[in-house]
Amino acid sequence: MNILEAHNVTKEYAAHKALDDVSIEIPKQSIFGLLGPNGAGKTTLIRIINQIIMSDAGNITINGEKLEPKHIQVIGYLPEERGLYKKMKVGEQLMYLAQLKGLSNSEARKRIKHWLDKMGLTEWSGKKVEDLSKGMAQKIQFIATVMHEPELLILDEPFSGFDPVNANLIKDEIFELREKGATVIFSTHRMESVEQLCDDIVLINKSKKILDGTKKEIKKSYKSGKYTIIYKGTLAGLSNNYDLLETKPLEDEMSESLIQTKVDQNPNEVLKELISKIEVHSFVEVIPSINDIFIQIVEGGQS
Amino acid sequence: MKQIFLVLRREYMTRVKKKSFLLATILTPLIFPALIALVVFFGSRESSEVESVYVLDKSGFYNEKFTDDSYSYTYLSGDLEAAKEQFQDEGAYGLLYIPEINFDDASITYYDEFEFYSKSNTGVNIENSFERQLRVVLEQVKLDRSGLDPGVINSLKASVNLNTYNLSDTGEVKESNSNLNLIVGYVFGFLIYMFIFIYGGQIMQSVLDEKTSRIVEVIVSSVRPFQLMMGKVLGIGSVGVTQLLIWVALMTTLTTVGFSIFGPSASADMVSSQMPAEAAVEMTKTQEQIANIQNLLDSVPIVTIVVSFICYYLGAYFLYGAMYAAIGSAVDSLQDAQQFMFPIMIPLIVSIVSLSMVIQNPDSQLSFWLSMIPFTSPVVMMGRIPFGVPLWELLLSMALLVAGFVFMIWVAGRIYRVGILMYGVKVNWKTLKVWFTTKV
Repeated sequence: MNILEAHNVTKEYAAHKALDDVSIEIPKQSIFGLLGPNGAGKTTLIRIINQIIMSDAGNITINGEKLEPKHIQVIGYLPEERGLYKKMKVGEQLMYLAQLKGLSNSEARKRIKHWLDKMGLTEWSGKKVEDLSKGMAQKIQFIATVMHEPELLILDEPFSGFDPVNANLIKDEIFELREKGATVIFSTHRMESVEQLCDDIVLINKSKKILDGTKKEIKKSYKSGKYTIIYKGTLAGLSNNYDLLETKPLEDEMSESLIQTKVDQNPNEVLKELISKIEVHSFVEVIPSINDIFIQIVEGGQS
Repeated sequence: MKQIFLVLRREYMTRVKKKSFLLATILTPLIFPALIALVVFFGSRESSEVESVYVLDKSGFYNEKFTDDSYSYTYLSGDLEAAKEQFQDEGAYGLLYIPEINFDDASITYYDEFEFYSKSNTGVNIENSFERQLRVVLEQVKLDRSGLDPGVINSLKASVNLNTYNLSDTGEVKESNSNLNLIVGYVFGFLIYMFIFIYGGQIMQSVLDEKTSRIVEVIVSSVRPFQLMMGKVLGIGSVGVTQLLIWVALMTTLTTVGFSIFGPSASADMVSSQMPAEAAVEMTKTQEQIANIQNLLDSVPIVTIVVSFICYYLGAYFLYGAMYAAIGSAVDSLQDAQQFMFPIMIPLIVSIVSLSMVIQNPDSQLSFWLSMIPFTSPVVMMGRIPFGVPLWELLLSMALLVAGFVFMIWVAGRIYRVGILMYGVKVNWKTLKVWFTTKV
């Protein structure tokens, strides 16, 4: 079951195409990585999902229904460019934002109290935002995003500007919200943060989708058949199925080598071949990072 | 609609709760009485410290002839250089030099050898006052020498006061006073002008604040940009209306209280009970004057003025407010906003400058056309209304204003929805045009 599907979404600005025929499917209760370099079209797609701007072509469904203004309540959006009313008190501000999302007065009050307690900010409720530290303001910003219990949480570069402590706190909250049933779209150009968080990813570059799928499958399909081995002995006389890429000596007569399999082989077969020649101490398949994959695709596309 | 209301309420509440709003609302109606009191106060203080003016009279006709209490006059003799030195040493305010005058030739009517020295620049009023006093004495001397009978001269003079009346279609005659109309027209026109600047500026500031604090994208994920803009314009407009209503209430109360203390009924009571007859006659005179003032007030179409003022205020506010909102959305700082201000400033300045011409000549071609063009009609029409404007002109002008602000809100909305999400873009008129035409 997909919470959100976008089919052939295209958006053109006066000077350039921001999105070119992009289709994505986001499974319910997943953490979905929307990846791509700056200017790829991520924010445009997010703004279209948030109905801040309209697509020129294509359609979007949420829970199988055509995207409509009422879906604003289903979505919680933390934009990349974010802030709060500096002169407004924390409590009043959260109340205003909650009401804009359609919460009733009493319900909003209950949830604001709950979240402020949870974040340890209860006594700041009557303070103006400008009196808060940056970290506190960021927490308030996060509360404003999730307070109406959105089914779909869209976080655009959520960790930019967050200090490591708050970033971890937010990460934990994201996992917790997912456990409770929320789906998270996580947009970033920093691929490292994707590795640990996302289940599914889509890569966008120059307004086109260039890759999508589950993180596992993608990584699997981009395995290069490289292995790093640490061993005692001399690695020589490998069959024609292998290339020895590099070798460097370690302490205690040990060596480390990187080998490349030329035909499709499973790790056991590779290990068998090695055991017959050397004493294997460590055997690790080299799995490409999303960043490597991304660079590989983008550069491959250019050449 | 609910979203617009939520935005409106926030804009309204945050402003009304501010101390500065409370102060401005309560103090402004007191400013004018306070200013008058201040002028009276300083006026009375000035007369207590009379400065001295030296008069060096070579002609011999002006001895002890200056009798006004503005200055104390000291008459010198000797030559001009000595007088100047004495004037320097003793720190007098001024030195008036009167040369010898030849009265033998009666054909001479122009005298330009009088001189006045002072430490500071002489104001026009002071100059005129001395010229008048010098002239009066000269004329008196010439009259005496001519041997004519002063009575004959006086009987040749005449003065005229033209009583003006409005003759309405029903044949009802009302006394009119063009001076009062002039003032009423100018005040209401100026009020609209002032309100546009104050509250238009607030709209721009508010849009800009949301943009620079980066909250705008959070908000527009819950509210359509157009709803946000309209909520803002309506909310700030409501603050203006609230302020206006409080002013009206305050001034009405002040006037009523003022009248009950100094007004006709209170004084009449006092007259009958304890005042001597002579004073009673004085009082009846004052009563008559007050009655006159009330008559005059009746001659001004107050209901029409108030109703049209509200209509034109709202119309002008929407028209210019939309422009202010669009400009606020387009720029990143107030400095950047300057380059777009002239389409707002120029029509407003044209209105306020032509307002003084319009109240002099409310039925001229210029007045008519300026009161039809939506950009100038609010201010200019308020200047015309006290003198009476045909109903069809009023309705046509208002209809054009409504069409004008609907169009302007549409244009502004299209620029606004793009502009609020743009940061660090170098904006010029061409960019605005591109934004206006983009699909969003």
